[in-house]
Amino acid sequence: MDVIVDNFDLFAQGWLRTVQICFYALLGALPLGILLAAARVSPVPFLRSLGGTWVTIFMSCPLTVVLFFMAFGLPEIGIKGSYFWFGTIGLALYSASFVCEALRSGINAVPAGQAEAARSIGLSFMRSLNLVILPQALRSSLPPMTNAIIYLIKNSAIVGAFGVGQDLFAVADTLTAARGLSALPVLTGVIAGYLLLVLPIGRILSLIETKVAILR
Amino acid sequence: MFSKGAEPADTPTVGVGPRVAEKAVAGPIVRLSGVNKHFGSLHVLKEIDLDIAEGEVVVIIGPSGSGKSTLCRAINRLETIDSGSIELGGSPVPVEGNRLAAHRADVGMVFQSFNLFAHKTVLENVTLGPIHVRKCSPAKARAQAMELLERVGVGAQATKLPAQLSGGQQQRVAIARSLAMNPRVLLFDEPTSALDPEMVNEVLDVMSALAQDGMTMVVVTHEMGFAKRAGDRVVFMADGAIVEQASPTEFFDNPQTDRARDFLSKILVH
Amino acid sequence: MSSSSFLYDALGPRGNRRVRWYSAAFAAVALGVLYLIGQKLAVEGQLSEEKWGPLVNPSNPNFGPLWTFLAGGLVNTLIVAALAIVCALLFGTAMALARVTSRPWYRWFVVSVIEVLRGIPVVLLIFFVARVLPEVGIGLSTMTFLVIGLTLYNGVVIAEILRGGLQALPRGQKEAAQSLGLSSWNTLRLVLLPQAFRMMLPALIGQLIVVVKETSLGFIISYEELLRRGQIAIQSLSNPLQLFFIIAVIYIIINLGLTLLTRKLERGAGKKTAKTPGGRQGAKARRRVPDPIPEARALQL
Repeated sequence: MDVIVDNFDLFAQGWLRTVQICFYALLGALPLGILLAAARVSPVPFLRSLGGTWVTIFMSCPLTVVLFFMAFGLPEIGIKGSYFWFGTIGLALYSASFVCEALRSGINAVPAGQAEAARSIGLSFMRSLNLVILPQALRSSLPPMTNAIIYLIKNSAIVGAFGVGQDLFAVADTLTAARGLSALPVLTGVIAGYLLLVLPIGRILSLIETKVAILR
Repeated sequence: MFSKGAEPADTPTVGVGPRVAEKAVAGPIVRLSGVNKHFGSLHVLKEIDLDIAEGEVVVIIGPSGSGKSTLCRAINRLETIDSGSIELGGSPVPVEGNRLAAHRADVGMVFQSFNLFAHKTVLENVTLGPIHVRKCSPAKARAQAMELLERVGVGAQATKLPAQLSGGQQQRVAIARSLAMNPRVLLFDEPTSALDPEMVNEVLDVMSALAQDGMTMVVVTHEMGFAKRAGDRVVFMADGAIVEQASPTEFFDNPQTDRARDFLSKILVH
Repeated sequence: MSSSSFLYDALGPRGNRRVRWYSAAFAAVALGVLYLIGQKLAVEGQLSEEKWGPLVNPSNPNFGPLWTFLAGGLVNTLIVAALAIVCALLFGTAMALARVTSRPWYRWFVVSVIEVLRGIPVVLLIFFVARVLPEVGIGLSTMTFLVIGLTLYNGVVIAEILRGGLQALPRGQKEAAQSLGLSSWNTLRLVLLPQAFRMMLPALIGQLIVVVKETSLGFIISYEELLRRGQIAIQSLSNPLQLFFIIAVIYIIINLGLTLLTRKLERGAGKKTAKTPGGRQGAKARRRVPDPIPEARALQL
């Protein structure tokens, strides 16, 4: 384990870089996912199919392809930027569809009777959405949302693998390939880094889940 | 099932005669004329004409799939209709928007599956409408809600969540929630069908008391005892059409059509 | 209408008008955006024969060799996906059984193996397998490394899907089997597991979609699947935009096919699975069937 101790700085920097990628990607994916979900449940057929198409495309297409397309395709039409931003934006676009589906499954988990009862006492569409549907839908979308967030964190490794540089995955590559260190301890350290991120977040979110779960 | 009617009711049975006499002579409060509805190729409501007078308790019975729930829900426009008209107090039911919401605020609805807002306490369930629709002050809404909850016998449960209550208690809260809006008509869509047998009566008692207080009610139910005891009129539906309507005594003692006789014989067997 | 139409009332005339108006407005915006993209592509010379020819023009000298090369990559992709899903199914079933039959004194071990494998990014797992195994003297082909990596990760996901299926089965199934005198192993093998598989079939196919997508991570260890071959081809053709676009379309077509299959199975699934008796008690006793993975539900226009 000397490898980890000796290169602790590198690991720590990589870990922070990964956190950074995840944070920015989530910052993009959440609002975009909310917009997509709103489109997919809206009464406007065109918006529904637009949202559906987006989600279908990004769920059927590997993140790797999205990232390659962005990093090597976009510069061809004069859109230039750093790998870091291409990678992070690609991850955000890709993850937005998972956020959207998490929200939508939460909305669909609300029994139809709740909406009918809300309308029956004379609540307008917006009020019944705000007072009755969304509070319940958001709570039931927490478990799939947790999955979406954890999925995003794990996928940030792909962003790293395709060459953002300096993130946790890049540390693995640098230490094993360039410096020729033994892979087992290095990769164990990197894996520990990801688990350090994924497991606590999963635990915290599932704690929140049980706190806000709705009795039916 | 039917034995319930034979039990001594805890609320004194109300004679139909005197109550009808008390009623205002104005036009019907709810009027359905020539209402038709299809679900795909299924004709679920056929040329329905029905007038409901202020203070009247109309009990709709009939075999399952006869369209009685659809009829009840159509009055609140939870189901749209294909043709014909439904009027409340002389004006047609609005088809959309704020005016539809206002109509619904005036028409109470009690569902088979209670549909209490799962994330709100019992008290919040009852105050939600008055606060957000009637623009009552929260304090006033709470006071009125507590009064109603006491009246239906669940005052002690006010701070609990719906899932912590028994089915019978939940349904009584649902009734209180409707009452809090001061509705002109109260619709009941099979209010006791989802209840355990021992809880049916606590709900029927509340409904009987309401009927006695002169509330206009449309009740879709399989509880023949309630129909006999609290109904002013029984409407018998089959295959989407009103087959027969009469006062409870007349209907149960002397049904005019084969369909009705057949239906009654089937429920009365056990 | 969509599955969410319970949110709002059936539209009246005014609502219909508004919806038509919004549809038209958004469609106009979308067309405008498409036009701008098209124009940008034209200006940058991205619509030229030079860039697209090898991909779409059969008379282009590069057309034949390129597609043969890519087809080979696609075959490699599909081979890995097929091997990985079969291995993952076996490994996953074993892990699910290990978890549900485990005694308390070693259950923590099974659970932590599952949790840890689920928490590791799959790309890292593939990398780990490909780098660490040779170090300890196990030299295998890159394809085998890729299959092992995908199996480990997807296996534990499948294990959790199956466990969910087992938990969602009505209690009565187990009780009925035991009352016939079946041993607990036979109860699991003959009664519970087949039903859990059937109930979870859509989710399992959905996992196949995930596996197909994840084969593209082979590029990390230079396995020549579809994406890697595309990458190689781009080096001589220098048309990244066009080639990655076509590759994306190929993945989307494959996975859309699998999605449609899932949908079909979802409709059929459950029919043959025991249901809790209906009515009030049933509704309360019925445990929630875990959500199928989003990929499986993607297209619900």
